[in-house]
Amino acid sequence: MTSPVDALLRPLKIKNLTIRNRIMSTSHAPSYGSDGKPKERYQLYHEEKAKGGIGLTMFGGSSSVAVDSPAAPWNQISVADDSVIDHFREFSDRVHQHGAALMVQLTHMGRRTKWDTENWLPTVSASSKREPASRSIPKEMEDYDFKRIIGDYAAAARRCKLGGLDGCELSAAHGHLIDQFWSPSVNRRSDKYGGSLENRMRFGIEVLEAMRAEVGDDYVIGMRMSADELIDDGLTHEDCLTIARTYAERGLVDFINILGGQARDHLAHAIVLPNMSFPVAPFLALASAVKREVGVPVFHAQRVTDLNTAGRAVAEGHVDMVAMTRAHIADPHLVRKLMEGRVDDIRQCVGAGYCIDRIYAGGDALCIQNAATGRERTMPHIIPKTTGPKRRFVVIGGGPAGLEAARVAAERGHSVVLFERNAATGGQVTIAAKATWREALTGITRWLTQQVVKLGVDLRLGVEATEALVAAEKPDVVIVATGGTATRGDVKGTEHAVTVTDMLTGAVEPAESILIYDGTGQHHASSCAEYLAKRGASVEIATLDRMVGEEIGATNQPIHLRELYKLGVVLSPNLQLVEIYPEGNKRVAVLRNEFTHEEEERLVDQVVVEFGTLPNDGLYFNLKDRAVNRGQTDLPALLEGRAQPAVVKTAESGDYALFRIGDAVAGRNIHAAIYDAARLVKDL
Amino acid sequence: MIATALSSLILATLAAGAVLALQHARRWRAGQPAGVDIVAGLKALPGRYLVDVHHVVARKSFNARFHALTAGGFLASLPLLVLAAVPALRGWLLWGLLALALAVMLGGALMVGYRRRVEKPAELSQGRFKRLPYALLAYAAAFLVVALDQLAGGVLPWPLALAFVLAGAWGGAELILGVGRGPLKHALNGALHLVAHPRPARFHDRAGRDTGLRPADLEAPKLGSERPLDFAWNRLLGFDACVQCGRCEVACPAYAADLPLNPKKLIQDLVTAMDTAADGERRTDASYAGHNHPGRPIGLAQGGAALPLVGPGAMIHPDTLWACTTCRACVQECPMMIEHVDAVIDLRRFQTLELGATPAKAAAVLEELRVTDNPGGKPLARRTDWAVDLNLPLLAEKGQCDVLLWLGDGAFDLRVQRSLRALVGLMRRAGIDFAVLGEEELDSGDVARRLGDEATFQDLARRNIATLSRYRFGRIVTADPHALHVIRNEYPSFGGHWTVTHHTAFLLELVESGKLTLKGPTGGSVTYHDPCYLGRYNGEIEAPRRLLDAIGLQRVEMERSGLRSSCCGGGGGAPLTDVAGKRRIPDVRMDHARATGAERVAVACPTCTLMLEGVVGQRPAVAEISELVLEAVA
Repeated sequence: MTSPVDALLRPLKIKNLTIRNRIMSTSHAPSYGSDGKPKERYQLYHEEKAKGGIGLTMFGGSSSVAVDSPAAPWNQISVADDSVIDHFREFSDRVHQHGAALMVQLTHMGRRTKWDTENWLPTVSASSKREPASRSIPKEMEDYDFKRIIGDYAAAARRCKLGGLDGCELSAAHGHLIDQFWSPSVNRRSDKYGGSLENRMRFGIEVLEAMRAEVGDDYVIGMRMSADELIDDGLTHEDCLTIARTYAERGLVDFINILGGQARDHLAHAIVLPNMSFPVAPFLALASAVKREVGVPVFHAQRVTDLNTAGRAVAEGHVDMVAMTRAHIADPHLVRKLMEGRVDDIRQCVGAGYCIDRIYAGGDALCIQNAATGRERTMPHIIPKTTGPKRRFVVIGGGPAGLEAARVAAERGHSVVLFERNAATGGQVTIAAKATWREALTGITRWLTQQVVKLGVDLRLGVEATEALVAAEKPDVVIVATGGTATRGDVKGTEHAVTVTDMLTGAVEPAESILIYDGTGQHHASSCAEYLAKRGASVEIATLDRMVGEEIGATNQPIHLRELYKLGVVLSPNLQLVEIYPEGNKRVAVLRNEFTHEEEERLVDQVVVEFGTLPNDGLYFNLKDRAVNRGQTDLPALLEGRAQPAVVKTAESGDYALFRIGDAVAGRNIHAAIYDAARLVKDL
Repeated sequence: MIATALSSLILATLAAGAVLALQHARRWRAGQPAGVDIVAGLKALPGRYLVDVHHVVARKSFNARFHALTAGGFLASLPLLVLAAVPALRGWLLWGLLALALAVMLGGALMVGYRRRVEKPAELSQGRFKRLPYALLAYAAAFLVVALDQLAGGVLPWPLALAFVLAGAWGGAELILGVGRGPLKHALNGALHLVAHPRPARFHDRAGRDTGLRPADLEAPKLGSERPLDFAWNRLLGFDACVQCGRCEVACPAYAADLPLNPKKLIQDLVTAMDTAADGERRTDASYAGHNHPGRPIGLAQGGAALPLVGPGAMIHPDTLWACTTCRACVQECPMMIEHVDAVIDLRRFQTLELGATPAKAAAVLEELRVTDNPGGKPLARRTDWAVDLNLPLLAEKGQCDVLLWLGDGAFDLRVQRSLRALVGLMRRAGIDFAVLGEEELDSGDVARRLGDEATFQDLARRNIATLSRYRFGRIVTADPHALHVIRNEYPSFGGHWTVTHHTAFLLELVESGKLTLKGPTGGSVTYHDPCYLGRYNGEIEAPRRLLDAIGLQRVEMERSGLRSSCCGGGGGAPLTDVAGKRRIPDVRMDHARATGAERVAVACPTCTLMLEGVVGQRPAVAEISELVLEAVA
């Protein structure tokens, strides 16, 4: 019986290139570039996918072809001069040795970038229309700009070919220069590059013709484009089909990589990079429509997180290659696991958007659940078996930190017992997942739980660990991952408040009018507000920040705000909670404006506060005295990837080494908890 | 007087037995002509009996011993009793020798009695066989008394002595007259079957193994066997040699899983059906006193020599015919050298080629094979889809190579692709000059042939042979024992002669010649499951074991292993005909593996891999030997 998934393992031939299967990763910007070059970290990140069996991995989302399209934002790659070629060569050798194909995305960002960085050159575009996302006002391109930029594209394509890459992709999506010309929302020109769609397509055609002339007909050049900008004044679906058909019929492109939407504003950004609130593959129909129009292979990415969806997309003929980009960030060995019949072992992307949100906040891409991604030099994706003695581990706490510690220890070959005082694993993830669309977070701990069960970890659910229980296991290593408890903070009268946790767990029933004070700017307050509003409460969120949920990234915050506005939640920034006092059955919250210091009061039924968590460290301090290392983690050993000296010692003394990880140390986030665990235990 | 009575009775019984035997011989002589070299067969008979038959019987040493004592004593006593007809020879020497022979036989008869009446192995038939120990004991004990009495000069009162003579004579009559239908028919039919055996090459004085199916003449007026009379006479003779010892029943994997097949009953069905001479005469299986095909009641099956054998109301139910995995465990165990699998295939050929009655998914797969040259109906180019990144050299591009890697249809399967990747990786490390046929490779024809579709088999075989003949290569290496068997043993009939090496033997060569270097012991325990088509069909049971030992795994054997291994359930098209039993054959086999406590089951055949991987629940992991070797190479 043929499974749709089988369709994914068929090769795809494009000109002289045969891609070994139909699963790819699209170009994106993990912010791993260094001096505008893809160096070791960047290369190792993609090499891991190649090792993991991927057919095609594309790197360098928005690699620049020209000096007025700076590579500096998000640490991207510059293909604007020949110094990149050697890096490309090293990169392609590295990926090719594992049988995968490698391509890069080339672009000129036009107005969608910063003028105040790198070369401090003004941005350019079809017309002088300000872009909301980058906030830049471009110069309207004049005759010599066309000549220069078209030449830059061609030269960049030549560098790709010289660098041994299997092809390149022209970005004409997310509002880059090519699609700035296409889109009537930007292009207001009246010359041969503006007006009719035919004229608006001209610039892109000239770019591709120049690239073709430079690298020849055999070299694979594709194009990434939207199949519907999903805005009133933008490109319609029909426009996009016309563009795709025209470019393909002229033999300019060897594949078309389709997405839905654009990215010029906050919500558009969240839609074009759909998070867990969206269904899987929300824009597959757009790619399928393009597939019907063109004779070249069609690629597609956008929240295809599972192999069954991917398999059907290919088997049913909607697309030729399915991109599972974030799915590979969660598990770069996805294809290998499919080939080995271990689909259950795939760590599936939950759509938290942690990876992409970090980029927009100026960080590097990291996976909320896989601590090895982007850290391939120091963190293994496949945990090696220990070559030393097999040890007895006791892990206390079945949240993400404890589960990951147990998983890694068991993968190392140690014997592990895990105590969890609740009847089920999950820890604080279970609480966070109670809030409406955040439910998919449970995928993180569900996978970890399934893995530890499979690895034979002795799970003691519903058992609160004590010193005696721990001692009875005669452990060599004790890991305390007891997590944290939401704190009500130290605002005057805070005893009259409840926490977000109290509300989400159902410990406290929501009343009619509720003020939520957001002291962290994270998902907690916003998702709790949505949860309460959906239960009929009248909700206001106050925060000291300039906006509610300010710490939430660019692909999640807009969804929160959209939902909160829809539900009529009042958003009140720039207010500090200074006091809570009771009045009858009600509570009065005193809020002080951050800028004017004027105070205002809210009379509500409940005040819900979010100030993060404080560690559950009672057991840790009880265990500390008997531990050979008194609970101390040797930081140099941890950072250098060596075994903790205390653990080496226990083998002789018979005592245990004690470590504390995750929120049991200090309240942080899921990634920190998992990284704490994996980084420590991988060397034990 | 006593002596005269003794020898006269025996002479009369022998004469009657001879008449009966001739009469019964008419049944098998009615079969189709067969080219048999009777003279060579007669010359080879003692050797075939003393070496080949003995080798099988001696797997149960107790049986071998009582057989030697009983048969030896009985056969020695017969000429002495005949000689006693000559008064001049009746002296102490004759009586002494007779007493000695009968004493030996008595010992054997007591052992037979112990086995049949005390031990009572479940596989033995009851009915007439129940009387066997009494007949043996009566003959041996009573005549022993008579012989001793004669030696002592006749001290017993004559009525008593005569009573002993009569008692012994009853035993003798039971035995000798049973040469037609009774337990002793194997003595005569068995010997004749050895003389006229349809596969003389299987005996020790020839190749020692002969397992390839014989080509069917597709121009013949009737394809395959419909009725008993459609079998060659020496095939019918072989069926008639069955003594219902039940060794096949014990070995049969289908029987073990309670599928409706008992090979012993299958042979007896054929014997019962051939028992009728006249057209239209019917007999039922009501007199059969052993285990039936599981799930089938006794008495329903009926047929005759000239009647169709297979059908829901006929002698053999179609489910019985299609439950066979062609694993040859029955053939391996049969002390009478009966060729059960040949019979099954002959019957299937008629069902498939003449009636189109191939059941379940098998018909669809045969259709795919006819149209697309592979069982899954996939484009042949997809055979190498999994290997794009391995850049497999194509023989069409290279023109020649040392090793032609025959990928087999497993190459279309995700699980098997993993082991093929391991094998290719090992060949690359060892620097082997190899190539594949790519889309020129067709299905070997194995499944079509086992399902009785000789026409499709021959078509695939001829076209594969034509392709292979266009190229120059040293030998064929394959990880598929079915392809190996077909190319090595069945293509020669169509003019294809190549050296075919199983990948386990090939990898062992690479390890032993130092082309593959090992890291040292990898550790862990493993039990090796012999593929039927590699072990029993081709006798290769050592190389995989030596390979596992070489890579340092702790090897434990299952209760059934080597040439006596038990089938995974995947051969003969059985997964396609999909006859239901109480259990699945691979589940039974996995029980054997579980019982060893080994961490992994090593397999060396794509079909075994898939069948055993399909077993659910807690079980040892299934690892193909290439994967284990890849883990172990430095």
